[in-house]
Amino acid sequence: MPGTRTRVSCAATALALCAALAGCGGDAGAAGGKVTLRFTWWGNADRAALTDKAVAAFEKTHPDIDIQTSYAPYESYKQKLATQAAGGDAPDVMQLDYRQISQYAGSGVLRDLSTVRRTLPTGAMPHSLLKSGRVGGKQYALPMGVGTQAMAYDRKAWREAGLKEPKPGWTWDDWESAVRRLKKANGVYGMTDPGSFEDWFEVWLRGRGKELYDAKGQAAFTAGDLDRFWSYATKLRKEGLVSPATSTTQMDGSVENAPMGRKQAVAEFNWDAPSAGYEAMVGKNLALAPMPSGADGTPGQYFKPAMLVGIAANSEHPRESAQFIDFLLNSREGTKILGVDRGLPVNATARARVVPKLTGFQKEMADLQKKLTGRLKEPPAAPPRGDNALQSVFGRDYDQVAFERATPRQVAEDFLTEARAELRP
Amino acid sequence: MSPAMSAATATGTRAAPPGPGLEPPGGPRRRPKREREGAAWVFLSPWVLGAVVLTLLPMAVSLYLSFTDYNLFDPPSWVGLRNYRQMFTEDPRLLRSVLNTLLYVVIAVPLQLAFALAVAVALKSMRRGKGFYRSAFYAPSLLGASMSIALVWRALFNDGGTVDSVLSGLGVHMGGWINQPGWALLSVALLTVWQFGAPMVIFLAGLQQIPQELYEAAAVDGAGRWRQFASVTMPMLSPVVFFNLVLQTIQAFQVFTPAFAVSGGRGGPADSTLFYTLYLYDRGFTASHMGYASAMAWMLLLAIAVVTAVLFRTSRAWVFYANDTSNGTSGEGR
Repeated sequence: MPGTRTRVSCAATALALCAALAGCGGDAGAAGGKVTLRFTWWGNADRAALTDKAVAAFEKTHPDIDIQTSYAPYESYKQKLATQAAGGDAPDVMQLDYRQISQYAGSGVLRDLSTVRRTLPTGAMPHSLLKSGRVGGKQYALPMGVGTQAMAYDRKAWREAGLKEPKPGWTWDDWESAVRRLKKANGVYGMTDPGSFEDWFEVWLRGRGKELYDAKGQAAFTAGDLDRFWSYATKLRKEGLVSPATSTTQMDGSVENAPMGRKQAVAEFNWDAPSAGYEAMVGKNLALAPMPSGADGTPGQYFKPAMLVGIAANSEHPRESAQFIDFLLNSREGTKILGVDRGLPVNATARARVVPKLTGFQKEMADLQKKLTGRLKEPPAAPPRGDNALQSVFGRDYDQVAFERATPRQVAEDFLTEARAELRP
Repeated sequence: MSPAMSAATATGTRAAPPGPGLEPPGGPRRRPKREREGAAWVFLSPWVLGAVVLTLLPMAVSLYLSFTDYNLFDPPSWVGLRNYRQMFTEDPRLLRSVLNTLLYVVIAVPLQLAFALAVAVALKSMRRGKGFYRSAFYAPSLLGASMSIALVWRALFNDGGTVDSVLSGLGVHMGGWINQPGWALLSVALLTVWQFGAPMVIFLAGLQQIPQELYEAAAVDGAGRWRQFASVTMPMLSPVVFFNLVLQTIQAFQVFTPAFAVSGGRGGPADSTLFYTLYLYDRGFTASHMGYASAMAWMLLLAIAVVTAVLFRTSRAWVFYANDTSNGTSGEGR
């Protein structure tokens, strides 16, 4: 039959085409006996520059290992990593938030690091920090740096208002009167409205001896607590002391879109390491102060691992991954390159080596942590899984307060209803 | 979102040309039908494979997931209709997102179509430089869906942005648009209106199909330009208007990128740009409620189907098919 041959050759052509197309997406890692590792993390361009430098240094001493990096802002990173992990395609080495550890370890995404203990020793890391990467007695992730909450401010504006530098133990009342004087002296908003971030509510709450979550992972505060916090912020906002709703609502976690980053305020709460971003706007006058404490001096802030790092359970190269992490966290060269960009080094030896050489903002950061060492209370346990969603709900709900769509009390009740649903075991 | 999108495109799937290029038709010996069908399948296979693997299977999985509680990590657990029940009874924010989306559709679609029609009419009567202007007006549609344009939009309508500065120069101090609950939705709608290129090109094609003698006859009867537009252009163009209306409505229901970029993914300020798809994304990827998000996607598909059906129903009253004696029983004329 004449048609058959045509048909067969058609099919053959189609198959060949498919094969050619598939070939394009082929595995590049298998080439030349070189091991390829994927390393992903969140951060900004500054962190990217430092990380790439560290990766290059590692590749130089380990010519048989090739490291492919990719990074994204925190929110999108979290979403992408979750999708990858669920699809069984987690990168070999991944930066993690302490909120993710229990989920990722429990679902078998992370490798038990005791299997690579020889390549990746943890002896020089303090036990209190290692704890945050441990689930069910096994170490699944290692802290990459230590961070704490802080108030970033413009030292020049602060001095011009005749204010003294805030010391550990200063209270929310001290903070309020400072903001009042800043406003009078500078004419801009003294401070970014703290009402839209769950993290600052937590610090305020802990200053009153309470916590966000109890041991069972349920909300440990009442609608009354939240109402009080939001009413406090609202009072300051109505007096024009903190940033207005139209400005606060644009905060998305990046320094560039925050009121202080847009030069609409001279002070802003942030975590210490990411505050480095303000340097682009404030320059040399950028300073860090402790967070305000409760009325009796009870500190609300705490030290926690700014981020952790783990190895994928299904990574084909756990040993090489461990070598790389060891280079980043323990080696003289790696810790020197990374500096305090991901928080102060966790390895005590590296810390002692890195800290004295710091200058500028990095020194500011080390000084703050030094001032606070020994004064803070134990950090809370890693928050429950639902906290991820609640963080964004918190900001969204505060919009309703700030734009005066509802009273703080009503919105606080709504938030707690939603929190109970999210935290349902 | 994907089920809804495929519903929009699924209409173009049936016409498979019977065995192209095998032998000239009417040759001495026509092959049996079944054999030619086989060849058609071979040629169709890349498309069929794509449709099944990339569209139908994911849709089926999404339907299944909509009846489960699924957080990406633990295996999905069956919860029956709970997600759907929760949508209707326990989620005030969902209602807000539905209202936002409806408001957006009602503002953006008519504005965009009116704009596209006006430009198409102007272009049609243009003597010189038609090609240039057509391309120039179409360009935003090519760019508009991208993230970068949405970010430019954000910068334009921010406080201290271009729009704010120009208005302040004119003595109108209103601050930014994207950071005020009353204005943010409008600035997102304007971004859609700006991308009027695709409906404009379709309108232009439709306008060129209208026989010139109709205008001549109308002119002889003493009809002015407006009268000609109302009595000749609009009725003759109504099938094209209908086509554009259906297409743009379906697209508007699925608006995502501009709102995501303008509000930094939060749908703010004060939930004023929290569109349905944005909330769906938030539930799925921020809160890890994939089951709930799947249920939302299926409700969106249903809602779009209902709205489209209603549009088809009303079309009988106002869409005119020139060569159709039964006065428009269905919208498949074009």
